[in-house]
Amino acid sequence: MRRLLIFPVVFAVLLVPVAVLATGDGSFDGVVRSIESRYHVRATRIPFMGLISLVAGKSMQAGVSNMHVAEFENFAWPVDGDELNRMVEEKLGADWKRMIRETSRRGEEQTLIFVHPEGERMGLFVVDLDGHELDMVQVSVNADQLNKQLGQYEHHQNAHRLPDRD
Amino acid sequence: MKNRIIAFIFAATALALPTLAQTVQLPAPSPIEKELAARASHVTEVTLDKNTLAFASKVMNGNDKDAVATRKLIDGLDGIYVREYEFDKEDQFSMEQIEQLRKYFETSEWSTLVRERDLKSHESTDVMVKLEKGETRGFFILEVEPKELTIVLILGPIRMEDLGKLKGISGLDALGGVEFKTKDKDKKGGDQ
Repeated sequence: MRRLLIFPVVFAVLLVPVAVLATGDGSFDGVVRSIESRYHVRATRIPFMGLISLVAGKSMQAGVSNMHVAEFENFAWPVDGDELNRMVEEKLGADWKRMIRETSRRGEEQTLIFVHPEGERMGLFVVDLDGHELDMVQVSVNADQLNKQLGQYEHHQNAHRLPDRD
Repeated sequence: MKNRIIAFIFAATALALPTLAQTVQLPAPSPIEKELAARASHVTEVTLDKNTLAFASKVMNGNDKDAVATRKLIDGLDGIYVREYEFDKEDQFSMEQIEQLRKYFETSEWSTLVRERDLKSHESTDVMVKLEKGETRGFFILEVEPKELTIVLILGPIRMEDLGKLKGISGLDALGGVEFKTKDKDKKGGDQ
């Protein structure tokens, strides 16, 4: 009986490093730390972000959840787009796929959008550098819930719209 | 025990095969693209795989006939690949590079639909269509201007008249012009 137990245990032990490699080191915080260390900047942490995320999740009926936001100011020099992209890709891990990349050679504008399918939900990770400011957002979106919410909003908007006076 | 492990590996492979067969892989960037990116002042890359397109179709608003048709179209696609290179000045790429780029994407499955060359303005448009059993399974568009180059690759079931519906997707603004050019070609009844 004990011999049979060895197989799942060995399998799990072998699987752990693979899982760690595949997911990077904690996505959002990992990317924040890398940017801070590489560009010698400090992220402005938004206070009560966990609470804001929870409230947003409840108000949108979980259409949007797991929100993380960081803002970096005072980027003193141009950013190498390839380097920034590599850094984010490494930290996010292979599960995140890059959907959009916009980069300018002079380095003053960089946009990266990564996606990560999470069952019914989709994880979105956005890095946007504009001049001396870099914003980073991670969010998990439930498309069906979000669409329902937007639909309701449109319905209310249409209901309160005054008829045209022609 | 050994037999059980072998059986397990075979079963896992058999289960994985249909999934692999259904997956249409978007191409890796050609070496020319890397050269272009190094010279461009502004680069836009959009890569949407099947999962992302399915998600995008769910988020799309509107319940009218057109919106529903567009959602259905996007949901059925296998992938969209867009590369846009903008240059500060002219002569940052050669016609040889453009030809290599076209050949990289062109395989026996692809047929030329539009091939337009303007020697005076140094502008060109190539539209190729991928046909499988008489059905359109993809479009490849290469638009070249003196200071701008756009590559669009759309994989999956799509008709020419549906191209315009994708214009709203980031990086696909060029599709409106392509739709116009192909319609124009149809009217004239041949390649330009």
